[in-house]
Amino acid sequence: MNNSKTASAIGLDVGTSRIVAAQRLDKDIQFQTQLNAFVNLPFSKLTQGVLKKEHIPHLLQDSEITVYGDESERFANLFHKETRRPMLRGVLNSEEKDSLLLVRSIVTLLTGEANGQNQKLCFSVPAAPMGADQEVNAHESELTKMLTELGYQARSIPEGLAVVYGEMESSNYTGIGISCGGGLCNVCLAYLSVPVFSFSIPKAGDYIDYSVANLRGEPATRIRTIKEESFHFNGHFTNKIHQSLSTYYEEMIQALVVSLKDAFASTQSMPKLNRPIPMVLSGGTVMAPGFLDRFEKVLRATEMPVAISEIRLAASPQHSTARGALVAALSEM
Amino acid sequence: MLVRGMVVRLVEWRAEWFSDPARRLQYLQREMTRQPQPKPTPRQKKPLSNATKLAIGFVFTLAFIATALLRPETKRLLGRTLAAISLPALRTTKPRTNSTPILHRTAATEPARVWLVESTADSDLYSNGLRIQKQYLTGTQPRAYVTFPRDRIEPSAGQWRFQPAGVVFHTTESHMAPFEEDHTQTLRRDGEGMLEYVRRNRSYHFVIDRFGQVFRIVRESDYANHAGHSIWADEKTVYINLNQSFLGIAFEAQSRHEDEGLPVNPAQVHAGRILTEMLRAIYGIPEQNCVAHAQVSVNPANLRAGFHVDWAANLPFHDLGLSDNYRQPLPSVLIFGFGVDNVLAGAGGESLRQALQAAEDQLRDQAAAQNMPLNRYRETLQKKYREAHSALHAKGLLGENNS
Repeated sequence: MNNSKTASAIGLDVGTSRIVAAQRLDKDIQFQTQLNAFVNLPFSKLTQGVLKKEHIPHLLQDSEITVYGDESERFANLFHKETRRPMLRGVLNSEEKDSLLLVRSIVTLLTGEANGQNQKLCFSVPAAPMGADQEVNAHESELTKMLTELGYQARSIPEGLAVVYGEMESSNYTGIGISCGGGLCNVCLAYLSVPVFSFSIPKAGDYIDYSVANLRGEPATRIRTIKEESFHFNGHFTNKIHQSLSTYYEEMIQALVVSLKDAFASTQSMPKLNRPIPMVLSGGTVMAPGFLDRFEKVLRATEMPVAISEIRLAASPQHSTARGALVAALSEM
Repeated sequence: MLVRGMVVRLVEWRAEWFSDPARRLQYLQREMTRQPQPKPTPRQKKPLSNATKLAIGFVFTLAFIATALLRPETKRLLGRTLAAISLPALRTTKPRTNSTPILHRTAATEPARVWLVESTADSDLYSNGLRIQKQYLTGTQPRAYVTFPRDRIEPSAGQWRFQPAGVVFHTTESHMAPFEEDHTQTLRRDGEGMLEYVRRNRSYHFVIDRFGQVFRIVRESDYANHAGHSIWADEKTVYINLNQSFLGIAFEAQSRHEDEGLPVNPAQVHAGRILTEMLRAIYGIPEQNCVAHAQVSVNPANLRAGFHVDWAANLPFHDLGLSDNYRQPLPSVLIFGFGVDNVLAGAGGESLRQALQAAEDQLRDQAAAQNMPLNRYRETLQKKYREAHSALHAKGLLGENNS
C-alpha cells in the first residue's frame, strides 16, 4: 500500500488464493489485494527489460523469471501456462520451494517497499484441518518469523475469528464467522470476542474447481473463470459445468453445516447464549449469486443447538478477514 | 448465576459505548479474559435466597442507572469495580481436529497418548519415538466419505464423514533382495524405486521400508488409492470402499503363506507398532478397525471376498499392539452376502479360515431366522450392497482407483 502516510497497524488476510491487506489511514480503512499466485517464465534480457520498464513485480531465480501477484495471471495467459500457488489448503505449499519468499514478496507489494516500523500486524491463519495440525503450526511460525524480519510486531489470528472481528461489532463480537476461501472453509464461534471453537474443512473454492475440472475434463482455471463469471444458484441448469458446480457447491455447504453441528456437539464448554446469535458468511466462494439462500436453506433444515438470529453475507466478503485482523491489531495499541 | 448474568449484561451494555471497533474489542477482551472465578465452595453453591436476589438486583439496577449518568472517568472506575466480580470462566476449546465427532471410541484397548514433538521440513518426530520421513509426501483430494449405519444400509441413511475411521495393512509386493549386508545398495535402490512408484500412484498413506523407516506418502487429510473395492464394518457403522475412510499402511514385503513365516523383519514390526499407536491416538481409531487388506478386499463383479490377499495370513496383530482381528467375521460375507474366493480361503491362516466359516454359519442362521433359503437371503443382502455402491458412485465417492 504505497501511501505517504504510515498506517498505525496492519491486518493481513493470508489466503490460499489471495492476500489482502487492510490499513486505517485517518478514519478510513483501505484494502489492497493481490493474487497469491505466480508464474515462471524463461529468462531473457528482453523479458527482464520489459518487466522492469512496466514495473511488473518479479523475481530473478536461476534461469527463470518469476512474475507474482495479480500480474501472474496476465502472464500465464500470455504464455499459455497455469499460474502456481505458494499456498495450498490454507498453508505454505510444501511442494513449492520458494513459497515463503513469494508470500513475502506479495506482502511487501501490498504494504509498501518500506519495511514495517515496528507496527502491529495481525495475520490470519487457518484452524487446522484434520491431520494437519503440524502443517498449520509450521505455517504460522514461518509467517511470524518472516513478518518479524520485515519489521512488524506480528501476531496470528484464526481466520474465522477475524471474520467475527471484522463483521460483528454490532453484536459485541458474538456470533459465528465463516470464511469460505480457496483452500479451506474456516469457522469460528465467538462469545463477546472470546473464541469458543474454531475449525476448518478442506472443502472450498479450489475443491469445487478441481472436482468439476476432473469430472468435465476441463482445466481448473477455466472452471474457476466460469464459476466466478456466470454461475448462480437458480435451481435449473442447462449447462453441464454449471450443473457440476452446483453439485460440488452443495457438497461443500452440506459438509460445512454438518461440521458446524458436530462442533457444537463436541464443544465441552459452551457459554450460555441468552439470545439468538448472528452468522456471517465471507470469502470469495460465498459470492456466487444465490449462495446465501442455498446455505440458509440447508442450515435451517438442520437442527442446531443454538438459535440463529440472522444469516447474512459480509458487506464486502473478500475484505472481512483483513478488516477483522486490522481491528485485532488496532485493539492491541 | 443471577450475578454473573447481570455482570455480563453490564459488560455488553458498556461495550456499546465504544463506537470505535478496535476500542470496543479491546474493552471486551480485557473484561472477558480476567482471571476465572475460583471454584465455588459448597457454602457458595447454596442457592441464593429470594431476599438476597432482590437485594443484589436492586444494587445492580442502581449501578446501571448511576453508570449511565456518571462522567466517563467515574464510569471507568465503577466498571473496574464491577468487573472485579469475575465473569463466568469461558474455556476456549477447539473441537477434535476436524469437525466430525469421533464415533468409534469403543475399542477394547484405548491407544496410548502420543503427540507431535518436532516437525521439520524433512521429518516429524512423535513422543513414542516414531519418526516419519516426508521427502515423498504428496496429496490427492481431501477425504470425504459416506458411511451407513449397520442396522440401516440404504442410500437415504448415508452419513458424511471426514475423519479416518481405520487402518488397512498392505504389503507392497515389490522386488525383495535378500536382507543381508552385502545387498545394502540393492535394498536401498529397490526401496527408493518402490517409494517413487508409490508416490506417483498415491498408493498408500504410509510405507515402512525394509530398514524400518516410516515414510508419509499421502497426507492423512487426503484419500489414497490403497483399498479400492473393499468393505468393513464395526459395531455401528459400515464402510464401503475404504480408500476414503481408512488409512493405508504398506510394509515393503511380499505376501507369504502361513507356513512360510513372517514376511517382515523386527525393525518393520516395531515401526508398524509405533505408527499404528500414533494413528490410533491421534484419530481415535478403534482396534477392530485395524485390518489386513485381504480381510476387506472384494470383487464386485463376482461378489466374492478376497480379491486381493495381501496379509491373508501372518499379520502380527499382537506385535502391532492389536487383538487378533483375523477372528472377526468378514462384514462383506455377513452383511452383504458375498461368497469367499478360493484363493482367499487357501491363502488365509487358521484364524481367518475360522472367521470365514463363522461368517458363513451366522449367515445361514440369519437366513433361517428370516425363513428364507440361504441363496435367496444372500441375494437380498447383495442387492443392498449394489444399492449402496450405486449411491456412492452417484456421489463420485469411489475414488480414482478401484482395483
